[in-house]
Amino acid sequence: MLEEKISEINSGFNQDIVTIKDQKQLEELRIKYFSRNGLVSQLFNELKNASKEEKPVLGKSLNTLRNDLTARFDSLKVKLEISKEKEEDKIDLSLPGTRRIIGSRHLITQTLDEIKTIFKGLGFSVVGGPELESDYNNFGALNFPPNHPARDMQDTFFITEDFLLRTHTSPVQIRVMEKYKPPIRVIMPGLCYRNEAISSRSYCVFHQVEGLYVDTDVTFAELKGTLVSFAQQFYGEGLKYRFRPSFFPFTEPSAEMDITCFLCHGKGCRVCKHSGWLEILGCGMVDPNVFDNVNIDHEKYTGYAFGMGIERTALLKYGIDDIRIFFENDFRFLRQF
Amino acid sequence: MKVSLNWLKDYIDLKGIPSNDIVERLTMSGLEVEDVVDETAIYKDFIVAYVKEKKKHPNADKLSLCTVNTGTEDLQVICGAPNVEAGQKVVFAPIGTLIPKGNFKITKAKIRGVESYGMICAEDELDLSDDHSGIMVLDEKVSVGKSIADELSLNDTIMEIAITPNRPDALSHIGVARDLAAIYNKEFKLPWFKLQESSHKVKDFASVEIEDTENCPRYTAMVVRNVKVKESPEWLKNRLTKIGLRPINNVVDITNFVMYELGQPLHAFDLDRLAGHKIIVKSTEVESTFKTLDSKERKLPAGTLIICDGEKPVAIAGVMGGENSEISNSTKNILIESAFFNPASVRRTSKRLGLSTEASYRFERWVDPSGTLPAAERTAQLIAELGEGEILNGVIDVYPEKIIEKEVPLRFERIKRVLGYSIPNEKVISILKRLGLKVKFESEKEYRFSVPTYRSDIEREIDLIEEIARINGYDNIPTISKISISLGEKVDESSFVDQTREIACVLGFYEMLNNPLQGEDLTEITGNRIQVLNPQSIDMAYLRTSLIPGALTAVAKNINVGEKNLKLFEIGNVFNLNPDKEKIESFYDFTEVQKLVFILTGKENEKTWQQQEKLFDIYSLKGIVDSYLLRLSLDKAAADSYYHNEETIYDLYFTKSYKGKILGTGGRIKKELLKQFDIPQDVFCFEFDLNLLRSIKPEQRKYKEPLKYPKSTRDLAFVFEKSVTYEQVIKFIWQMSSELLKSVRIFDLFENPSLGKSKKSMAFSLEYYSEERTLTEEEIEKEFSKLISEVTKKFNATLRGT
Repeated sequence: MLEEKISEINSGFNQDIVTIKDQKQLEELRIKYFSRNGLVSQLFNELKNASKEEKPVLGKSLNTLRNDLTARFDSLKVKLEISKEKEEDKIDLSLPGTRRIIGSRHLITQTLDEIKTIFKGLGFSVVGGPELESDYNNFGALNFPPNHPARDMQDTFFITEDFLLRTHTSPVQIRVMEKYKPPIRVIMPGLCYRNEAISSRSYCVFHQVEGLYVDTDVTFAELKGTLVSFAQQFYGEGLKYRFRPSFFPFTEPSAEMDITCFLCHGKGCRVCKHSGWLEILGCGMVDPNVFDNVNIDHEKYTGYAFGMGIERTALLKYGIDDIRIFFENDFRFLRQF
Repeated sequence: MKVSLNWLKDYIDLKGIPSNDIVERLTMSGLEVEDVVDETAIYKDFIVAYVKEKKKHPNADKLSLCTVNTGTEDLQVICGAPNVEAGQKVVFAPIGTLIPKGNFKITKAKIRGVESYGMICAEDELDLSDDHSGIMVLDEKVSVGKSIADELSLNDTIMEIAITPNRPDALSHIGVARDLAAIYNKEFKLPWFKLQESSHKVKDFASVEIEDTENCPRYTAMVVRNVKVKESPEWLKNRLTKIGLRPINNVVDITNFVMYELGQPLHAFDLDRLAGHKIIVKSTEVESTFKTLDSKERKLPAGTLIICDGEKPVAIAGVMGGENSEISNSTKNILIESAFFNPASVRRTSKRLGLSTEASYRFERWVDPSGTLPAAERTAQLIAELGEGEILNGVIDVYPEKIIEKEVPLRFERIKRVLGYSIPNEKVISILKRLGLKVKFESEKEYRFSVPTYRSDIEREIDLIEEIARINGYDNIPTISKISISLGEKVDESSFVDQTREIACVLGFYEMLNNPLQGEDLTEITGNRIQVLNPQSIDMAYLRTSLIPGALTAVAKNINVGEKNLKLFEIGNVFNLNPDKEKIESFYDFTEVQKLVFILTGKENEKTWQQQEKLFDIYSLKGIVDSYLLRLSLDKAAADSYYHNEETIYDLYFTKSYKGKILGTGGRIKKELLKQFDIPQDVFCFEFDLNLLRSIKPEQRKYKEPLKYPKSTRDLAFVFEKSVTYEQVIKFIWQMSSELLKSVRIFDLFENPSLGKSKKSMAFSLEYYSEERTLTEEEIEKEFSKLISEVTKKFNATLRGT
């Protein structure tokens, strides 16, 4: 009798609960089943009339029913509450988040780092040297004879007759070769100074990366291979290049490397002076006189060296038309990169 | 140097070779062609026209209304030039012509209400000169309707060639032709001429003596008499104007012509103005003054090589002649100087006088000592020809010690060692022969070549290899696709600086780069500065002694353009003369130190919908400095000191030091300095010595197992006398606590009258735990109450909220 009622209530609850959509209906459900005069309480009242033998069994069934229904009621209640919250505290996702400012390296540093990474991958070490140099390291040891017109290629800021602000990173070559024994494979980035009139094309300070490789079997062919690999990694695959004879006192034979102007693709434009080519670096085989000056046997060893200006490289790569912007530290410029 | 292709063709047959191929091959063999002017292309559309009629423009006083005949039609053309007249033959640009100056196209135009169908041109519009005083009026002989490219022989190709300092031999048309002959494997011929000498002997009319044979190894002179100084013929004027020279008179033009032809600078003296008809070459013994032919009085230091006559100086050797012996219109008799001067001597003089001429430019690089005689003869012959003069018989050639051709050995195997590929021996020999070298010795493995005296740059085997490489073409050197990498130790001296940059960026800083050359006002505040001997301007006369002035300049500039919230850093070298030194004589007399500066100003955060605005303050700076050191694992190593007194830069500052050495200093920039930089807001900055910082070895980090036991936190607040500092309290807490206390954080600080006069409250959050066990409530309570009682006792403080 009572058992029948239990199963009746159970199936009734099952039918009712799926129809509950809001708090009001939920409250009605609670009153129908769980209030003092609710269906479940009524059953407990009826339990009093049951026989002694039946009581424990029926009691257990009733408890199971109550626990079961309560649990299902509670979980529905939680579910309804969550959906109520969602609707009421709706989050405006379009509001801006809290940004963290991450700064940036100067564009020149970024360019330098990019170059450094490529050469480190090719097995080069990275070495630095001072900016206030001796005339000997900057010129003499690099085979610039005293009082020679080759010195006119690099307008110099002098500190005294014998000390100057280095005009290129090449004196670091001398320092490295005096300190280490071959094989030597290094790049030498750094700041250089030239006493040139300041304009949109030239500034009195600039950065260079110098490279040097000295071993028993270094050839011009390897120099070409290394620099072409660099240029392809840095400027992109498939570029055209050429090596053109040039002159630097500390290398012989010397060359300048040109790549196809990437602005006009070789057709000729203002930037490449209508030649279709852009000069990107100077290079050559280490002059035997330089080896003599650092006591490296020029019969046993050969070597190559190269150097490139970073500002010029960055100007070309990022389409900047005035070199001075690199040293003005205008925040509106710095933030762009 | 400008080189005319038409001129080159006098010495080498270039028929059938397009000019762009010549440009390319020259460039690819080391004579870099930087610019090309193809006259034919530029002038093909300009034609000779005839001005039939000239009337006044009805609406403008200064304009003329011309009827111009182009050979096929009459056109109405407005002209503004004052010299236009009917009957003139002129250069006419029909509609559609591109004008070289300004690079614009002629279109049909209405000028003050009247239509104009083209333009009559002035020289400057054609890029022939700067002359804009009037239109070009052409010779009667030119034909109307023809292109000026032909009629005015504007059909040349002019190449601007950059000659490197090692190639003085190429500073002439002959020199370039010689390289072309080697490149194209063609014959090349020197100018041919027949010297017509009179029966009078030159030795009876002039003499030459060299006192300083070291600086003047050779002096060749010839004399031409009864010369008529006059305007040069068209062909000669044309040769010179093409390469950018202004014709003057036949004698001057000829010396210029021969210099650009053969590379030998020449000087023509008025023989009658040379006292005793004598030339003496010597170096001055005392300082003197001398008026050069540009009418400038010049101070000659002792030791300057000069040319004298019997009485006085008449020229600065190799640099410039004197006014006192210059050729004039009345000159009759000419002494031609064709000399070889010591390059270093000429360079020294040119540098000292600040006077560089085409002659000195060549002499200081090296002219061919063997070439003085042919150049003198060539000049004499042309002067005689164009000035109707008489060449005296013979030459005066003082050449006490002949400069002989060098001999240089070449091992064929070495070519491959250097270049990385083999070139057949026959080809190697052929290239060197084409360049004028001669075989002096030959064996299977080694040859020896004699080098002509004009190639001063070829002295060693490597110089020969370079010649072979460039003439055979760098393109022929293989580009190998494999390199070997040694397994030896690699170093990266920049890694510390790279790490610093990375941390700075993560901390929100942007990197700046300032010019290390600064003015007096910036450098005097921060150190013992070093001066540049030859600065560009007073603003760049010193090397920076600190990164701070540059950083402040950058801040000021940015505030000026409205960028008021800044977080910048820079890494750079600073230079200081040692205090006891006046002048740098060695690397020990100064320091060059790499530094890092952080600089902050303005707002740390803008106000947002979630967050209050916050300005940067000294604690922002301290936090940044500490975060930086923490990231470098140097937080434990570095200690703080605080200062409230004003110094040269800061009015409030602190330092970080390690083992007694100051790693860096920073703080709030003092008002006075801000005013100097015109900065209206607070600025905070800190400068680290990176040389010191990188020398400290940070502790090797070791893995620590994550804590297995719970942490307990306790918060409390004390009321202190205002004079008690945070540092005093914190130090004391650490000192009196057991090792169970693991962290102390100040989370609140305030002052309020309710606390009592000159009192403040500091609230701390304490963290206790052990790595070995769970602490009991009693243990913690014991620690905590001990702390309360000790702190209250020590600082006479009271515990709040009790």
